[in-house]
Amino acid sequence: MQDSITNILKAIADPTRREIFHALVVAATALPITQISNQFDISRQGVTKHLKTLENAGLIKIHTQGRERFCYANPTPLKEINEWMKFYEQFWDNAIDNLGNYLDKKA
Amino acid sequence: MNDVITKEHIFKHSIDTVWNAITNAKEISTWFLEADFKAEKGYQYVFNSSGENCSPIKGEVKQANPYTLIYTWIVTETPIETTVKWALEKTEEGTKLILEHSGISNYHGETAVTMFNSFNGGWDNCISGLSSYLKQIVHAG
Repeated sequence: MQDSITNILKAIADPTRREIFHALVVAATALPITQISNQFDISRQGVTKHLKTLENAGLIKIHTQGRERFCYANPTPLKEINEWMKFYEQFWDNAIDNLGNYLDKKA
Repeated sequence: MNDVITKEHIFKHSIDTVWNAITNAKEISTWFLEADFKAEKGYQYVFNSSGENCSPIKGEVKQANPYTLIYTWIVTETPIETTVKWALEKTEEGTKLILEHSGISNYHGETAVTMFNSFNGGWDNCISGLSSYLKQIVHAG
């Protein structure tokens, strides 16, 4: 279930994780974990835990280079949720339009 | 981020007219999708589409008491179940519809991608096809 949308929704439900994710999106490049923890007023251990949750949701990727671990953002899973919502928003708008036309014609 | 899509709409028609339109198979087939449907709890319904390469929708009726209709919504060839709820309320102008489609969190990322690809190819067109078909009927009438 690691790639499930539940994980994504849970991952972005936490404000600190949203900030971390946002910082990585804005950086548009891989950032070392040390630098990320310096930006936030929480322990490195706390940041690592949040990063792990984001990684499980597929929202960030982590790779090791030398002694440092680097993170970068992967917003693709969010796009999937957004597209599902967009598709059904449109779908139900059309359906309700059709229902309205049908009822008007019947009356 | 929310797990539910909600739509509200007021129809200038009586609550029973709207209720029949969303529960009667013949009426559903006219404005929505070709339906094998009964407004009975436990009924396994199928919504087909007349277009090519369109995945049917199937599911089970969970509740069908005037004026609340709830059924599960499964796009064939995907194993994921979402839920559609139609609730009607009498208003001064006519009838208020509150439609809720929930369960997006049941989707796996990968399945979602497959689904969008198949929608882009055909299913989306099935719906717009239906829409223009109905407009033709309305204009002809």
